[in-house]
Amino acid sequence: MGETFVFWVLAVVSVIAALGLVFSRKAVYSALMLGVVMLSLAVLYAVQDAPFLAVVQIIVYTGAVMMLFLFVLMMVGVDSSDSLVETIKGQRFWAVLAGLGFAVLLALGIGNAFIGPAKGLAAYPQNVPSLAELIFTRHVFAFEVTSALLITAALGAVVLAHRERLTPKLTQRDLARQRFKEFARTGRNPAPLPGPGTYARHNAIDKPALLPDGSIAAQSVNRYVARYEKAEGTLPPEVAQALESDSEALELEKE
Amino acid sequence: MTDTITAPTIEYLLLSPLLVVFGAAIVGVLVEAFAPRYLRAAFQVPLTLLSLVAAFALVIFVVVKDGVPNKAAAMGAVAADGPALFIWGTILLLAFVSVLLIGDDFVPSAVAVPGSVEEERAVSEGAAHTEVYPLVLFAVGGMLLFAASNDLLVMFVALEVMSLPLYMLCGLARRRRLLSQEAAMKYFLLGAFSSAFFLYGTALLYGYAGSIDLSKISTSLSSVGGQDSLLFIGAAVLGVGLFFKIGAVPFQMWKPDVYQGAPTPITALMASGTLVAAFGALLRVFWVALGNLEWDWSPVVWAVAILTMVVGAILAITQTDIKRMLAYSSIAHAGFILTAVVATAGAKQNSLALSGILFYLVAYGLTTVGAFGVVTMVRDPGGEAWHLSRWAGLGKRSPKLAMVLAFFLLAMAGIPLTSGFFAKYAVFSAAVSGGAVALVVVGVVASAIAAFFYVRVIVLMFFSDPAADGPSIVMPIATRGVVGFAALATVVLGVFPQPVLDLASKAAQSLFVR
Amino acid sequence: MTTHYLVLSALLFAIGGVGVLVRRNAIVVFMCVELMLNACNLAFVTFARQHGNLDGQVIAFFVMIVAAAEVVVGLAIIVTIFRTRRSASVDDANLLKY
Repeated sequence: MGETFVFWVLAVVSVIAALGLVFSRKAVYSALMLGVVMLSLAVLYAVQDAPFLAVVQIIVYTGAVMMLFLFVLMMVGVDSSDSLVETIKGQRFWAVLAGLGFAVLLALGIGNAFIGPAKGLAAYPQNVPSLAELIFTRHVFAFEVTSALLITAALGAVVLAHRERLTPKLTQRDLARQRFKEFARTGRNPAPLPGPGTYARHNAIDKPALLPDGSIAAQSVNRYVARYEKAEGTLPPEVAQALESDSEALELEKE
Repeated sequence: MTDTITAPTIEYLLLSPLLVVFGAAIVGVLVEAFAPRYLRAAFQVPLTLLSLVAAFALVIFVVVKDGVPNKAAAMGAVAADGPALFIWGTILLLAFVSVLLIGDDFVPSAVAVPGSVEEERAVSEGAAHTEVYPLVLFAVGGMLLFAASNDLLVMFVALEVMSLPLYMLCGLARRRRLLSQEAAMKYFLLGAFSSAFFLYGTALLYGYAGSIDLSKISTSLSSVGGQDSLLFIGAAVLGVGLFFKIGAVPFQMWKPDVYQGAPTPITALMASGTLVAAFGALLRVFWVALGNLEWDWSPVVWAVAILTMVVGAILAITQTDIKRMLAYSSIAHAGFILTAVVATAGAKQNSLALSGILFYLVAYGLTTVGAFGVVTMVRDPGGEAWHLSRWAGLGKRSPKLAMVLAFFLLAMAGIPLTSGFFAKYAVFSAAVSGGAVALVVVGVVASAIAAFFYVRVIVLMFFSDPAADGPSIVMPIATRGVVGFAALATVVLGVFPQPVLDLASKAAQSLFVR
Repeated sequence: MTTHYLVLSALLFAIGGVGVLVRRNAIVVFMCVELMLNACNLAFVTFARQHGNLDGQVIAFFVMIVAAAEVVVGLAIIVTIFRTRRSASVDDANLLKY
């Protein structure tokens, strides 16, 4: 009785979720719907004396596979929703019709088959050891061969997604050398830009640093803020003066 | 569980060709991991070729030492019987020549966006994806296992081991990368779709028979009652998965696109090796597992064979691209082979049909690899010259090459003195003695339609004037060797087919193990 | 009860099949294929209990391994094509035509 109840609840949930997977326009909803189907199936496996598969289903499918799907969705086109334009005229109609026909055929075919009462798995009281015995004896060759599949998958990910470094990575030393060469060529300041400094009264991004004589260090003026303030007409005059007097800063602005 | 598990027995010697190929693939992955970039190709190419040769030698050694085994190996998972060993030899040979075709066909860096600065940098740095060699080996290993699997689980796993590397390899062409990536995506989505069908068929057959062993499914056909709908739907859905792999109509739509977009050596491998392996698996399912159900499936296969031959031949006529044309011709050839698949009766008739199929697979495989080899040689500035108008007048610019291609095309058309003639003769005569006369009539008509198109290409090459800016001919030594070998094989099989025919009929004599 | 489970699996399989045919986004199409594989697994588990042997469960286990590997390869291919085209729609992949 308990099984019947669980079955009907989960059957309804999983079919609705499967329909949601097919008909929701947002890809992320589809992914979540697929997750619901997989979780319901995991419970149905547990009900049908397959506790190991139920756990593997949750770990591998909902845990790994679904996460990978969501990850790629987030990367590739989370905000894209399907266009409703049909490229082949009537394709959607015929596809749904064919699907309905196929479903009816399958359901009638299976429903008509004379299937006796289930034998049950009472002969295998311990699910995991019995499965292990089968996997490592009768199906050991298939099990070994799946390793080829996993290696292929790893190799494929490397080929299609790994960027091999073609030039050596620049070290701190190389970067410093580059900065001084740049200094020799263009006179660009090799040191980091000045921070707010000892005499600063503020630490905010729009407050330029002060030099020891209390004047403004032109290089520390935030260009974006200054441009914005100029447009607004709120640029403090001392900042404008500092910017004008500093030719290097102007040059930098142009770059 | 208190009792101990008895260790499984695995016939290592018998399975050694398979193990060598997989082992070499794994060594290849280690080479990728540890060898410096400039040395990788120097390791990978000999490793791949040597492993294929070693596996081929081991196939011969196994047969010579122990004869044809008569029971399944590896706890009943792998059936390395006569036909399987013959198919293994064929696949290894075809894979060897296809690997030799690999030249500069692969993208230097698959991550770099086509046309980007990064890609140019990768080209100028001489980067290369030597990973393709282990991937090819994995695919070949999957093919070997696919044709020799004795239960549906191994068949499913082998199907995926064969397909996954091919999906990726399709997307790695160096030139026309958008086409290539598109081909990879199409092949992948349709392939995954079809393997889902294969799996559902497996599930229903398991539900019917209570076992996934092909032989147990066969024995259950007479003992299980009242569940025929499971059996019929299961067999049909399983058939969809298999027909997809051989590219039979109406499941052929992926073939032209994928063959065109994939790098040409991979196309050669798919057109030869995958086809051979898929026919091996198809025969095993239909003859071993569903052999006693022949009255029910043979009308369907009849229809599929007729459709495949006719549609393949007719659509080939409308093609303007040499690779697509060869793809459609491959579809038509799958149809010709299907005529012998339905020609079953007693054991004697079956082994006749089987030997015809085996001979056809060798002959067609070598011819098609040769033809794709020629395709790799004719180059435009932007890559291979695929459009047929570029092939006009090739006979005047490069008479030898044009003659070789013409010869391959004639072999595909089945003209006497070529291997194609005896191959067609073998399957058609088996079909006639199996009572499929109508099929043979359709087959002959389809051959005639196809021949029209092959001849049109030949006429185009020899009797029209070459364009001023015609394609140039690039002849790397390995490709030249492959094309020469394929041409030689096509002649030899066309003039003295007897040794190979004998070998095929010897391999087919004991039929599949049960 | 077995029949109930089988009909559920058939429904899920057919819904997945329709999804493959009507959806445009390659990732969603692939998710529908995964749904079909899950439907197969439900049938395997059900038949395992029906026949009282564990082969069905073993196959379902293998299917999960295979699916995991397939997802890696498939998503890698889709990401590559997205990087080139900035689109994951199967309609935009239309260079290869008859």
